This record gives sequence, structure tokens and C-alpha cells, in this order.
Amino acid sequence: MVSERTASAPPAASGAAVAADGLTKRFGSVLAVDALSFELAPGTITGFLGPNGAGKTTTLRMLLGLAAPSSGNASVFGRPYAELAQPALRIGAVLEATDFHPGRSGRDHLRTLSRSASLPDARVDEVLRLVELEGAAGRRVKGYSLGMRQRLGLAAALLGDPELLILDEPANGLDPEGVRWLRDFLHAFATDGRTVLVSSHVLAEVAQTVDQVLIINRGKLVIESSLEQLTARVGGSVRVRTPERAKLQQALERSHIETTILDEQGLLVHGVNSDKIGDLAFAAGVPIHELVAEGSSLEDVFLELTAEPRS
Amino acid sequence: MIAQMRAELLKIRSTRTAIGMALGMIALILLFSLLSGLLTEPSSLTSTEDQRGLLGVGSIAGVFSALAGIMLVTSEYRFGTIRPTFLCTPRRSRVVGAKLAAGLLAGLLFGIVGEGLGFAIGYACLAGRGLSYALNGGQTALLLLGTVAVVALWGALGVGIGMVVRNQVVAIIGLLAWAFVAENLLFAFVPSVGRFAPAHASDALMGFTTSHFLPAAAAGATLVAWTIAFAFAAIGLVANRDVN
Repeated sequence: MVSERTASAPPAASGAAVAADGLTKRFGSVLAVDALSFELAPGTITGFLGPNGAGKTTTLRMLLGLAAPSSGNASVFGRPYAELAQPALRIGAVLEATDFHPGRSGRDHLRTLSRSASLPDARVDEVLRLVELEGAAGRRVKGYSLGMRQRLGLAAALLGDPELLILDEPANGLDPEGVRWLRDFLHAFATDGRTVLVSSHVLAEVAQTVDQVLIINRGKLVIESSLEQLTARVGGSVRVRTPERAKLQQALERSHIETTILDEQGLLVHGVNSDKIGDLAFAAGVPIHELVAEGSSLEDVFLELTAEPRS
Repeated sequence: MIAQMRAELLKIRSTRTAIGMALGMIALILLFSLLSGLLTEPSSLTSTEDQRGLLGVGSIAGVFSALAGIMLVTSEYRFGTIRPTFLCTPRRSRVVGAKLAAGLLAGLLFGIVGEGLGFAIGYACLAGRGLSYALNGGQTALLLLGTVAVVALWGALGVGIGMVVRNQVVAIIGLLAWAFVAENLLFAFVPSVGRFAPAHASDALMGFTTSHFLPAAAAGATLVAWTIAFAFAAIGLVANRDVN
């Protein structure tokens, strides 16, 4: 799915909701985003994943016209964001949960935006109901909890009834109830065939929400796949802790079993069950301190894919 | 552009900053006009220039309109609302233009209230103390209109300064240090240059005739030129700078 196109090809041809083509951002000597190319089809919910500092926010800022790419192109609905005449009517975005004047009421915050998008004030009350904030709308944002601020940000993004929602770490700081609310909300939003791009540094946060993932690390695209493919890619794996990690690894490799080093004593073993590993370790004379079948293997894939290269 | 301007005017109205600033302005003008109107020796209140000083106290409003203009921009950067603002209106020159217009309008209001108040109190003090009014019709009109224009233009100038500087504290301290210290030094040592500086051009536009001052019309043109220069600098810088 990662497209290989020449820089001159117009991204509009694909009909993608969101497209990046060789997108690159350099800050001095640091390459924050490195030739990133991807396309998101309309109607998909995509998790944009990577560890902190991987370049997610910088990528989103370029997609939304807040930052200029050093090279490459970013487009939404086939055009650079800044060239859209009324972007609020097609794209809703939240980059920071704290982008409010503390002394302004939630309702007035939304009204400043609805005015600049030429939307009626009635729409402000609609989105306030949608995010269940109508009771607090007259209060100054200063007194809002983080969860309320997240929802107010979302309300602002929804003002123009957009087809595409771009959210940067929307679950940050939410309590479990808030995370659940957000998940239900995004599901409902996407059932109408609308598109969502949601970033996170925690795969588990979005695993129940998204149908495909883009994983980046150090500014580069690591993988673009559906959630099923990603799950299938790992199958089950077993976490092993042993003081003789290297020895166990050799023994396993002799049996053509794939492993990933977790730390000094930790090893992630792929494609075999605990019994097999225990038997092999016994045969090799390696003491085992811990042997845990990983139920939620997705997180491991994520960690594996975004791990620092080790020798 | 009109839509964006309505949004900017709502931004000014919807926090307590502007109200607080307006109240502070009114309090300061009341204090200064009453003090100088009631306590100044009658001999120092007879010439047209003396009376212009008393009746033009409302020009203090220019400091407040400039601060309001600065706040309209820098609080957006400070609190991050610049992101939703630019997401809604990605044509940044449109945002700058709307903010300049909103700053000018807010400044106009500050100027009318401030100078109206200052002039009324000053005039009442002169009349109450039996001092004859020394300004002719043209001088009075220039004082009133010039002061309101000065205060309005400083509102737009504040927006331009805020856009160029972005940091709230630096912009405010920079403005005060420039207007009250640097410019006075410049005018004292190099009046031929200092008279083109914005605060001195403002005084000249109100009709003050201190030596080396520009004629009122030239002073008005100079102040407008400063505002336009800052507006273009703001548009140029804002269009090309990344927003974090």
C-alpha cells in the first residue's frame, strides 16, 4: 500500500482522504520526518502509531498546513490543506488538548471558530450536546478537567460536520471511562463512512478502535497494514526471562525459532508455545526464571517494530 | 475576511482582558485629568499647548489599545489557540488582516471613550476654575479627531507588533520600553529622526507643536506608514513561519 510515486504526480488522482508523498521535515540536523509516503482511503479508521518523538505530531502538522515540509507533499482530499477554501467543513482536527484561552467559556471558544467558518451559533450548541458538554459550556475553560478539554477540542473539530477527523493523542490523560467514551464516539463517527486518523504512542489505546495502522519510528514508516495483518504477523509469542539469554537464543535459533531481544535477560520467542521453549531450554541447560505466554501480542509487535536496533 | 473579523472581535469581547484594560484606562484617565485639571497652577493652563496637554490626556488610551492589540495576537500563541485559528482559516494573511481590522476597531472605541472622557473632564475643570478656553475650532477638532485616530492606529500597530514578536511579555515590555524610553532618547538626541518615531508622530497628529515635530498631516501619514509596515512584516513572517 505504500505508494511509490514520482514527486510530480498529482496526489489528487488517487482519491485518498489523506496522502503523504515523500514527506520530509528537517529541523537543523535532525530529520524529524523522513520521506514518509502513505495514503488513507476514505472511510477508514487509521491508527498513527509510534513512540514519543517518532515524528507523528510533526507529520500531522504538515498535513494540516501548520508546518511546511522540507520536501515532499502532504495533501488532504487531493490538495494541500492551506489551499482548501473552507477546510473546517471537510476536516476536523485536534492537535493539543490544551489549546484554549483559560478565561474564555467553552461556548465562546467554539463561537469564535464557528464565526470564522461562517457557521451558525446553533451549530455550537449541537456539538456541545454531541460531546456532552452543554452543562459546562458557559463556564470558563480554566475550570475544566482534562477530559472536558479533550471533549471541547473534539467539539471544535466537529463544528463543520467534517468527513475527516485528525486527532493527535486524543486519549492522553483520559481516565478509562473517557477512553471508552472516545472509542465509542470514533466508532459512531466512522460508521457513516467518514475517515479518522488518530495518533497514539500506545497501541492498546487504539487497537479496539482502528481498522488499520501506520507505524512510524524515527520519522520513517515502519509498517502500514490492517490490524488483522498485524495480528497475524506475530501470532502468539512467549516472553522468557533467563540469566543466560544468549545461550537460550542460540539454542532456539538452532531449531529455527525466531526471537526478539527485550532486554539483558528478556527474550520474546515467536511461533512456539511455552512447553517447547521449556523443553529446549532444559535440553540446553539454560535456567528459566520466567516463561509467560503473551496474550495481547499486538503490543509486542508494536514494541518490536519500533525497538531500537540492537546487536 | 468579514467572518474572520467577527471571530476576532468576539475573541476580544469574550475574555476579561479587554474589559479589565478598558477599566484600567478609564481609571487612569480619570486620575490624570482630575489631577492636572484641578492641581495645575492657572498660569500653566493658559496657553493652547498647555490646554492641549490637559485636554489630550485621553491619548493614554493609545497605550491600552496597543496592549489590547498585542494581547489579541500573543495570547493566541501563548495559549495555543493559534492552532485552531489557523486550522479554521489556513490563509494566514486573512487572519492577520482580520486581527488588524479588529485591533483598529477596538482602538477606535478605546479612543472615543478615552478622549471623550479626558476632554470632558479637562474642559469641565477649565470652566469650573474660570479659565478661558484657548483652542480655536480647528485646533479642537484636530485634538479630538487626532487623538481618536492615534488610539485607533495604536490598536492595529499592537496587532502588528504582536504578530512580529509573538511572545507576550517581550512584546509588552518592548512596546513600553520603546514608547517611553527609547523614543524619548532618540528624539532628544536626534530630533530629525525621532520625530518620525510612532509615539512622537502621535503627539504631532494631536496638534502638539513642540519644535522639530512634524506637521499634523505628515505625522498622521507617518503613523499610518508605521502601521502598514508592521502589517506587511506580520503577513510576511506569519505566512512563512511554522506553527508549533
